Amino acid sequence: MLHKRLSQFLIIYFLGLGLLLAVKYCFGLSDYVIPGFTDMQNTAQAVAAGYLRAVLDTLGVAVIGHLLAIALATVVAIVGRPDNLLGTMIKTAAYNLQAYPIVAVAPIIFILLGDGLPSRLLIAAIICYFPLLLSFIGILSEPVAGIEHFYIVTGRMRWQLEVKIRAFENIHKLITVVTGSATLAMVGTIVAEFIGADSGIGYSLRIALYQSDIAKVLVALFLIGVFNSLYLVGLELLGLAVRKRMGVEQRIQQ
Amino acid sequence: MLLQCLNITYRYPQGDALIFHDLNCGLADPGFHGLFGPSGVGKSTLARIIAGEISGFAGEIRRRDRADILYSSNTERLPGWSSVGDHLTKVTPAANLPLLQELIRAFDLGSCVDSRFSQLSLGQKNRANLTRYLLQDFDLLIMDESLANVDEATRKQIIVTIKQIFPDRYFLYISHSVAEVATFCARILVLRDIHKSPQLIEVAGRDHHGDTSLDRTALERAMLEIVHAA
Repeated sequence: MLHKRLSQFLIIYFLGLGLLLAVKYCFGLSDYVIPGFTDMQNTAQAVAAGYLRAVLDTLGVAVIGHLLAIALATVVAIVGRPDNLLGTMIKTAAYNLQAYPIVAVAPIIFILLGDGLPSRLLIAAIICYFPLLLSFIGILSEPVAGIEHFYIVTGRMRWQLEVKIRAFENIHKLITVVTGSATLAMVGTIVAEFIGADSGIGYSLRIALYQSDIAKVLVALFLIGVFNSLYLVGLELLGLAVRKRMGVEQRIQQ
Repeated sequence: MLLQCLNITYRYPQGDALIFHDLNCGLADPGFHGLFGPSGVGKSTLARIIAGEISGFAGEIRRRDRADILYSSNTERLPGWSSVGDHLTKVTPAANLPLLQELIRAFDLGSCVDSRFSQLSLGQKNRANLTRYLLQDFDLLIMDESLANVDEATRKQIIVTIKQIFPDRYFLYISHSVAEVATFCARILVLRDIHKSPQLIEVAGRDHHGDTSLDRTALERAMLEIVHAA
């Protein structure tokens, strides 16, 4: 799993790098526009340690933001699950809000909360929150009639059991959605750092942009890709463990 | 009389055509009764109306005071997070736990109790599902093709066992097997197309308990009556 994800990323990364160098040499662009391979190596050696710390900082914020978004989406989806007035209101609000490019409100968050950790965390969380919420609401609102019927007619159905049945029956979808939204959390954190924060790899990218230093940008992209892949693999392994623990794998084999 | 359906008229919420028109039927005595009819005629719908799972019909359903009516079908599943045995134990009222062991033996489920539901064959799944319903407190249990995919010998054994263990309860058995309903049911409600009048006809079955030999001629007559009625 790890090997596959990393090799996929490395292939794409080095294809892109090769294309960039091809453009440089085909059009005779200066090292100022696109640095040569040796310059890139030198830059990598110079900034790698600092960028590594910055990426880990960003990843930490993204993971916490992602967890917050998952927790909040779970709670709201459970509350908005029934087919009543509150449920309908929550669903409608979720569908309408997710249509808005939420990253556009990031400046307001920075103005109100400053350029520290809370702003980065909040932006990371809200960027991955709405896709999570829509999927969670969809899954938890959909009855699993074949299983729920018995509990309903025998008077045993409780909301906890209903959520458990629906989550269990859709565990693959839930894991896919959670894994897919991890990249959004990373994107949200980087965007937040890029816009206004004073730390993290997004902040380093902003400085590299101001310096027009493509080599630094490429080093940052490499580290972001590697650590994002590691995070996704971690989530996939966690999902696999959850599925095994719940006995879902036995069901798949049937 | 446990149950009486009076002048039931019903159309599906999304459909224009009526599915029942002034339909009347009832269950007067305990025992094993059949609901028979061609596919699509509305057997499951009528069963769910009787069980109180479908509303929006015209007419009246009269039930004996506080009658517990359960509807079970072969499309139901047990949750997959625990073994079949654990699930059955968990949903069985304490007073019925000895009965659980008896049913596991009678329904030949001993080899399944440690397995997850998804690992069972279709026949085993249906037996496990039926077992948990039989362990509940009920007056009438509607069995909508609950023994589909179960081999004939086991099906016979299960029906005979149910009749022995629950002589005072009502069962409404939905099946497409004429021979089966004619053999084991006391009364068979034959549901017919809406354009036929009356839409439902009652036919007497042989109500076989497995302890005596069957009168073949009488059985064939009952089967013919059912087929002609349908």
